[in-house]
Amino acid sequence: MKNITFNQKKTSTIALEFDELIPDEVYTWEKSDFDKYMVPIGNSRFPLSDYFDVEVEGSAESPAEVIMTLNGDLGRVKYIGSKMTDGHIVANSSVDLHCGAEMSGGSITINGNAESYVGREMTGGELEITGNVKEFCGASYIGDWRGMTGGIITVHGNAGKQLGECLTGGQIHVKGNCDILAGIHMSKGFIQIDGNVPRSPGGQMLNGDILINGTLAMFLEGFDQEEIVSNPTVSGKQFNGKYIKFTGDIIRNGKGSLWLNAEKNRHLL
Amino acid sequence: MAYEEPIRDYDRIVENCTCAFCGCNCDDLTYLVKNEHVVGVRHACRLGASKIMEDMDQRLLVPLIRNEAGELVETDWDTALDKAAELIANSVRPVFYGWSETSIETMKQGIKLGEYVGAVLDNQATICHGPSLQAVQNSGYPVNTLGEVKNRADMIVYTGSNAMNSHPRHLARYAAFPRGYFRKKGRFDRTIVTMDPRYTDTAKMSDIWVGFNPNGDYEFYTALRAVLRGKKLKEDKVSGIPRETIEELAEAMKTTEYGCLFFGLGLTHSLAKQRNIDAGIRLIQDLNKYSKWNLIPMRGHFNVNGFNIFMSFEMGFPYGVDFSRGYPRYMNGETNTIDLLTREEVDVFMVIAADPGAHFPGGANRHLANIPVIQIDIHWGPSTELADVVLPGSFVGVEVAGTSYRMDGVPIYMKKAIDKPETCRDDEWIVRELYERVQKIKGEKIASK
Amino acid sequence: MEYILKNGTVYDPTNNIDGEKKDVMFKDGKIVDNVSSNAKELDVTDKIVMAAGVDPHSHIAGPKLVVGRLYRPEDSRKGIVPKTDVTRAETGFSIPSCPATGYRYSRMGYGTVIEAAMPPLEAKHTHEEIVAIPNIDIAALPLFGNNWFVLEYAKENNIDDLAALISKWLRLTRGYGVKIVNPGGSEAWGWGMNVHGVDDPVPYWDVTSREVIHALAEANEKLGLPHSIHLHPNDLGHPGNYETTVESMDIVKDVAKNSPVRNQTVHMTHIQYHSYAGTNWRDFESGAEDVAKFINNNDYVTCDVGQITLDETTTMTADAPMEFDLHQLNGLKWANKDIELETAAGIVPFIYSGRNSVHSVQWAIGLEMFMMVENPWQIMLTTDSPNAGPFIRYPRVISWLMSNKRRLEMIENGEVHKAVGRKSVIATLDREYDFNEIATISRAAPAKAYGFEDKGHLGVGARADIAVYDINPNTIDPSNDYEAIERAFGNAALTVKDGQILVKDGQVVSTKESQTIWTNVKGLEEKEAVLMEKIMPVFDKYYTVKYENYPVFDNYVPNPIEVNVQAGK
Repeated sequence: MKNITFNQKKTSTIALEFDELIPDEVYTWEKSDFDKYMVPIGNSRFPLSDYFDVEVEGSAESPAEVIMTLNGDLGRVKYIGSKMTDGHIVANSSVDLHCGAEMSGGSITINGNAESYVGREMTGGELEITGNVKEFCGASYIGDWRGMTGGIITVHGNAGKQLGECLTGGQIHVKGNCDILAGIHMSKGFIQIDGNVPRSPGGQMLNGDILINGTLAMFLEGFDQEEIVSNPTVSGKQFNGKYIKFTGDIIRNGKGSLWLNAEKNRHLL
Repeated sequence: MAYEEPIRDYDRIVENCTCAFCGCNCDDLTYLVKNEHVVGVRHACRLGASKIMEDMDQRLLVPLIRNEAGELVETDWDTALDKAAELIANSVRPVFYGWSETSIETMKQGIKLGEYVGAVLDNQATICHGPSLQAVQNSGYPVNTLGEVKNRADMIVYTGSNAMNSHPRHLARYAAFPRGYFRKKGRFDRTIVTMDPRYTDTAKMSDIWVGFNPNGDYEFYTALRAVLRGKKLKEDKVSGIPRETIEELAEAMKTTEYGCLFFGLGLTHSLAKQRNIDAGIRLIQDLNKYSKWNLIPMRGHFNVNGFNIFMSFEMGFPYGVDFSRGYPRYMNGETNTIDLLTREEVDVFMVIAADPGAHFPGGANRHLANIPVIQIDIHWGPSTELADVVLPGSFVGVEVAGTSYRMDGVPIYMKKAIDKPETCRDDEWIVRELYERVQKIKGEKIASK
Repeated sequence: MEYILKNGTVYDPTNNIDGEKKDVMFKDGKIVDNVSSNAKELDVTDKIVMAAGVDPHSHIAGPKLVVGRLYRPEDSRKGIVPKTDVTRAETGFSIPSCPATGYRYSRMGYGTVIEAAMPPLEAKHTHEEIVAIPNIDIAALPLFGNNWFVLEYAKENNIDDLAALISKWLRLTRGYGVKIVNPGGSEAWGWGMNVHGVDDPVPYWDVTSREVIHALAEANEKLGLPHSIHLHPNDLGHPGNYETTVESMDIVKDVAKNSPVRNQTVHMTHIQYHSYAGTNWRDFESGAEDVAKFINNNDYVTCDVGQITLDETTTMTADAPMEFDLHQLNGLKWANKDIELETAAGIVPFIYSGRNSVHSVQWAIGLEMFMMVENPWQIMLTTDSPNAGPFIRYPRVISWLMSNKRRLEMIENGEVHKAVGRKSVIATLDREYDFNEIATISRAAPAKAYGFEDKGHLGVGARADIAVYDINPNTIDPSNDYEAIERAFGNAALTVKDGQILVKDGQVVSTKESQTIWTNVKGLEEKEAVLMEKIMPVFDKYYTVKYENYPVFDNYVPNPIEVNVQAGK
């Protein structure tokens, strides 16, 4: 195994872009490689060593054997782990945009909050965020109707708008509340929200499952109530209790399922 | 309104000029010119006419530079341009914002400069119809030219747009009133519908007003589409609109011969933002199974659409294009002006033909006050108060010719009618000068390394 | 500057040079037969030398392209190449940005491209994009087939006014020739309808496609334009449409050709999309044989193919009702653009897949056309870019044409659906193109069809538009080495445009401004003036721009190549 530890020396107002510092690229790097690396900031590149002190321990034959640990304030570090195919990244801070975007394997743990586009278009791997996420978590690149296609995103806090937009596979689990338009245009995959949702989940969805354990305040006309199911199995996962099952969104002839905790959503019966 | 005497005292007239105000780009204006000044405008609405006639009001006439005492003082062109070029050449995260009130010819120089230094190029779409463009990218873009509306449309819907006030001639010249080839009786051959929470002036002259609840747009359009698919609505009211009204409306829209939906910022900036437009676009697509429908966004500035078109053919993305890594990137929320400013990432800001001082949120303007701002414009405005270098441009469509794109994408060559003030320069010239001067500085920098 | 390309193997079908070892010389942008001793020598031993490519039908500039780029950022993102010291940044796969378009054509050794659909009202836009595209010469064809004035004069069979209208509108739009798309159908789309077949009357106008095609062909010949009518017939993409296609070609049988610079009186475009048999998508099969037979028996017809390349692409055409049908079929985002009094357009992303039976049969039909049309001067290489696939796939199509082995391999190993075996005869056609035929379909024949006398060949006096490919024709076996063929045609060893070296070893090493080719008809000025008096009241009433602001002004065409035509001569 190779442990690469980034200890922050100073922050930058203009974001650093870490798309080149993923296990796939750096598994062969030594400390000297990091010290001479120029990191993109704005329209220029600056020595990474101005911003991070990098320690390297052990060696790796492949990206899978890399553990990258990032310490400090990463609120202005974008593209952490983006396009990675393997290895592990632990960020001990809140992170900036595009963390884990287009990743296809490996794992990222964020001990903090994530900015927008976390896990955008990921195809595999695991992404865990202990805090909150902003908008477009697990969404597609703008314009594409194929979003996240695989992998697992777990959010321990709350999620912003348009979570799992155009979801085409994989699983997203939000343990807190979730803002409007979760799973809009989704065609496959599973979104589980344990908290409350104000309105419009599953708008224009074609297929896949959305399960809400909290209360849904306002509902869309595009869904038809099917039945009340006890202890349903949704996307291979068993849930205890009664759930109201809706299908939709009929405005797109959708066959998606929206599962609402019956206890918390009596007002929709 | 008091009676105004017609203007009879003028030297010459210039016909078929194009209005440099809103996205209607009316190209039938007549300017009455006296002593190289437009003293009267025929055919234009009051918005257009006043902008054209009062071109000397608070006019920026000479280059200005902010001195150490923090005051803007007059300077010569060389000093001002060199200062601006110096700022741009040494910047790490420059943003060039605006462009919607200048010509495509100026944008051509702008993209050269932007690509060369690695800047972000963005226009007013970022604070107006940006959500519309995002929705277009998600759902499609069924549009027509305004002449199709004039000649064929028997139903016109305005939603989230008060055209009577914002685009006064839109109804008169293109949509509601004109007599078209297949609509010989004009207004009498058409049904006008306004969907807006407010009972606007446009609603007042419409046949039908649908006043859904504020922020209820997405739910309302979803219900309308569900009814089109034959669904019986569960609720008695959706977004405050009774079920029966929605059903009647769906039927009317289905059985019309040719419909056009015009939407404005009421849709783009309420709760569900781009998803409101998304729902609107899909509604139009659904309606085309039964009859003929199109839509057009009510673009504000006369060349805001032009910038989006220009950037798309040059670089494949419509606005918020970031050249910092040597290739274009387009990412909403990341490469847009407001996000970059509120995150305080921008270190040099150039504003051309726009007024962020008047339009931007406080957080964004706070950062503008802290960084060097270069302004290219014709009028003194709130942005001038924020500017460190002011470069007085000229008035496209009046003092200088140039290309613009109407809200429906029709290109129009706006002609020149009068000479610009001697001390001002064309926008195109100013940006080209900046490019050449920045090249020189960067060239010297490379040589000295 | 003088150059001599030494020792290349030259294929120049126009001048009957079929693989001769020969030096090619050029000076001041033109091919010459001798140069001074100062000439710069470029050794091209064991390499193929051809005239630069001429693309007879591609969509590269104009309003619908920009809608495509604007609403498909996911496509723009695919082809990103950072800027270099020479080139600007590139974006896009199926709908590349303007700079990318120029560079990519150059890299394939192309020098001239026809933009196949220009709506007159937005011609300025098309020309703005042409100026933004570097390295290639571009001619644009304005759309006439659904223009209200055309519909009216065609109904009256008023050929005189129609000729004056074309003459005037080519000048107003800086256009090159007459494009007809789904005649009557795009106007019917104004009401959400379409026309089917050549005898279905257009709603309200009460004129048929047959009348429109015939009248425009007659007017075209009356003027003696350098290109014939350029026809996208009715019923594109409908099973059973081959009958409409054959009928459409038959319509102009009695129209006499009036131009010495070309052979045809009608150019049928993307013929693949128009050669379908069957009655629905289930019994859909190839109708290529009947279409090819007609072309083989009638030398007044030329065509280009519109070969399916099995990629994710963006379909875009002025055949707007067809695009709506396509959207209904695949559910992907639909864009539409109706243009007052003139035309319409539609755009839909499309994923052509070898796993899909229909797409695979479409692939086979295109190749069948290439195999079955006997005379290579009558058939041209296109993918109707980006409709059937982006133009950067031309090298791949060339490799298919030169290798029966590769075609069979694709059928056998499942790269295309097995339906190809049942619904087409491509597996039984073992014709393989040689380099001379490739040179014909990709440069000589298109140049001839457009009446470009100084392009598409390497004779003395021609423009020095030259492509060199790193293939030794004496040692290569294209049937086996199809990958090498694709690589070589995709990365020209040299591309020369007007004497300037633009590409070396597949890399763009210099750039130049594009030139706009347009036809200026002389001699009808009085008739045009009379016609305009008739047109103006209608124009003023129903257009939403003023006539004074309608034309394409000289500033939009900074580098014109003006082709002067004396009307009727």
